[in-house]
This record gives sequence, C-alpha cells and structure tokens, in this order.
Amino acid sequence: MDNTGVPRHRGGGRRALATVMGDKIRTLSSLQELIEAAARGSRAALKRLYELESRRLYGIALRITRRPEIAADALQDAFVQIWQNAATFTAERGEAAAWLAGIVRYRALDAVRRAGREVLSDDPALGDRAEEPDVLERLDDARAHGALKRCLEGLEQNQRRCIVLAYVDGFSQAEIAARLPAPLGSVKSWVRRGLLSLRSCLEP
Amino acid sequence: MIPADRDELNILAGEYVLGTLEPATRQEVEAALSGNAELRRAIAFWEERLHPLAALAPTAEPPPQAWDRIAARLGPASPASTATRLWQSAAPWRWTTAAATAAAACLALYIAIAPPAAAPSFVAVLRAPQQDQPAWVATAGGNGLLVRAVAGGTAPIDRSFELWAIAPGAKQPLSLGVIPADGRLELGTLPAAIRSGGTLAISIEPKGGSPTGQPTGPEVFVGALIQAR
Repeated sequence: MDNTGVPRHRGGGRRALATVMGDKIRTLSSLQELIEAAARGSRAALKRLYELESRRLYGIALRITRRPEIAADALQDAFVQIWQNAATFTAERGEAAAWLAGIVRYRALDAVRRAGREVLSDDPALGDRAEEPDVLERLDDARAHGALKRCLEGLEQNQRRCIVLAYVDGFSQAEIAARLPAPLGSVKSWVRRGLLSLRSCLEP
Repeated sequence: MIPADRDELNILAGEYVLGTLEPATRQEVEAALSGNAELRRAIAFWEERLHPLAALAPTAEPPPQAWDRIAARLGPASPASTATRLWQSAAPWRWTTAAATAAAACLALYIAIAPPAAAPSFVAVLRAPQQDQPAWVATAGGNGLLVRAVAGGTAPIDRSFELWAIAPGAKQPLSLGVIPADGRLELGTLPAAIRSGGTLAISIEPKGGSPTGQPTGPEVFVGALIQAR
C-alpha cells in the first residue's frame, strides 16, 4: 500500500542508474556488501543502498512521525549516519536490513519526541489508525517472521498491543496508555512482561 | 546504571529498541554501548528479532530531493579508507584447501626456523575504517610480533578475529593467525614478508579462522607498520 499519491517510476530509473555506476558497485548485490563498500568510502555504494532501501525506510519513518517533512529529515539523518557508521556495522556484523531499519527508527523516534505528537489526526491520508493486534496476520508466516508472529501471538493481548504500538507506531508509554486507554503503570508492566516472555520464546 | 541481571539487561535493551525509555535512561544506554559488549548483543538481538514488525509500515516514496540533501551532507571519504583500499587490492583470490594447508605449514616452519636476526623495529596502530580511535596496537621487530587490543578486542559470537599481513606490493594477505579471546597474539618471529614494512589488518572470520587461507569476512581494523628506531 502506498498512500503518498506520488507516482512511482522504479524499474527504468533503477536500470539507468545501474548502468552509470562502476562495474564494481553494479555487481554488489547484497545490502551487506553495499554497507561494507560504503565503509570503505564508496559513495556509489551508499547511493545504491539508497535506491534499494529508501522507500522501505521512509515508510518506516513516516509511520512513526506521520508527517512527511519530519520523516524526510529522519531519512536524511539516517543515511548520513549509515555513511558514518558503516564501519561499525562491518565490525559487528549482524543482519543488514535490520541494522538499517534500526537507524531510521531511532532517528524518527528522536524527531517525533522532539516535535511532540499533537498531530495524530493531522493528515487523514497518512492513516491515523494505530496498528492493532490483527495486523499480525500481515506478517509473513515464512522464514524468520514466523517465529516472531508465533511468539507475539503467545503474549497476552495487552502485552502484544503495547509492543506493536511502540515498535511500529513509535508510541511512548504515555501515548500507549492514552490510546488503549490504560493506566501508565499497567502499560509499563505489560511492556516489561511482554519483552521477557518474547525473549524466552524467541531465544534459540 | 546498566543492570548486570540478565533479565533486566534484556528488558532494558528491548525498551531501548522499542523506543520507550525515558530520555535520560536512553542516553545512559548510548553512553554505555561502546564499552559493554553484552549490552550491544542484547540490543542486536531485539533489533533483529523485532525487525519483521517493520514490514507493517507501508513503503512510501521519499521526496525527490532527499538524496541530494544527503549527498551534500556526506563528508569526504576518510583517509582511513585508503588503507582499506590497499586491502581490497589484495585480489579476491582463493587458495585451494590443500594449498592453504601447505602454506600454513610453511609459515609455521618458517616461524620455527627463521633466525631472529637484526630485523628493524616497527609499530602499527590498527583502526576501524573512518574511525580515529586506535583499536589494536602492534609492535614488531627482532623479538617477533605482538598485537594487543586497545579497545574492541571481543569478536562477535561464534566468530574469530584473524590477523593478516600485507607485504608491500603483495597480491594477497598472509595469515598471521587467529587472535585468542584475550585479545593478544604473539609471534616469536617477524614474518619475512613484512620485515621491510607493510600493513596489518584484522578480519572477522568463522570461529577458528578462515577456512580458505584468505580473508573471507570483512576487514575491520587496518594499520600500516611504521619503522621505529
């Protein structure tokens, strides 16, 4: 679902871009290789990373901030940070897509906490609906998604809602308390207990 | 304060990833990150395991000028990347297992019999690309080679750090061995290949070292050997 109303032109643009890039970058296929190349100072690799990942990462930032201008700032900050920290990624390894999403989420959370969030119903086109538990059905049953889905489904409903609202919508505990609605103390304990149960369910 | 209790640490890391920590606690976590590998692992666990939830946010087209704004803010490629490019020039070349084994045996034999003759003294400071902070320090000379961790001496879980020498003009790095978990590797003799200088590098390899005799993982620390008096 793309609710920005901006027309897309992916395939052709991407191919044209690939042809102007150096051989080396064109052959780098995985996100991990691109991050490693960026760590060695390749701007072309960072640009390719942007081509591949910016729509997904901008979508994550927009879901959290709900305002295009703030989401765009978060996306820009994130890519500058990806450039600066790429060497850290290569040192610690890990899953590239998760590392990228983590950076954009932290930047979006920073921005939204700074700006405050009196704007929930600002723009109906962006969707003012927070994620509800049934969205778990949209998680892939396949691969790693399956484990998370199963473990989330095993949580008490309030614990699950707290974790999904915090992760996907970037809500603070006070915002979750206002939305459910529930006392702040209950939300805090649901988050804690939910994380503990998830951890023991997900642990290999 | 970062809790030592495992459950509390996992909750703290989880809340850090969810973004539900109070700003002061969050800053505390960020300040502790560089010195606390367990905390970093706990955070990486949540970042990776919760990541499928990110797919619940619909993708969207960023503003067209976003990339140009990013490009304008990127600093120039750091000088450290020059050192890593040297590494890259060591071609993506793979020895067969047999050749690697033979070469390792030759190296071991060489180390055993080479005279500890008047080799010049060298020092090297190894850094992560684009980072100023020294991570490893090496001293080399007639007494051999000693590499010690200054910071970041812990390899990721189930991985090993492996030390490599790149002789001036060499086509491929030479393994100097896997660095033990205590972050200290000592060789009795300075390998001939780098007796007149060269570059040291450390890569992340499968536990126990590269199976191919050549680096298979990312090179994470690099430093030139500098002749000392």
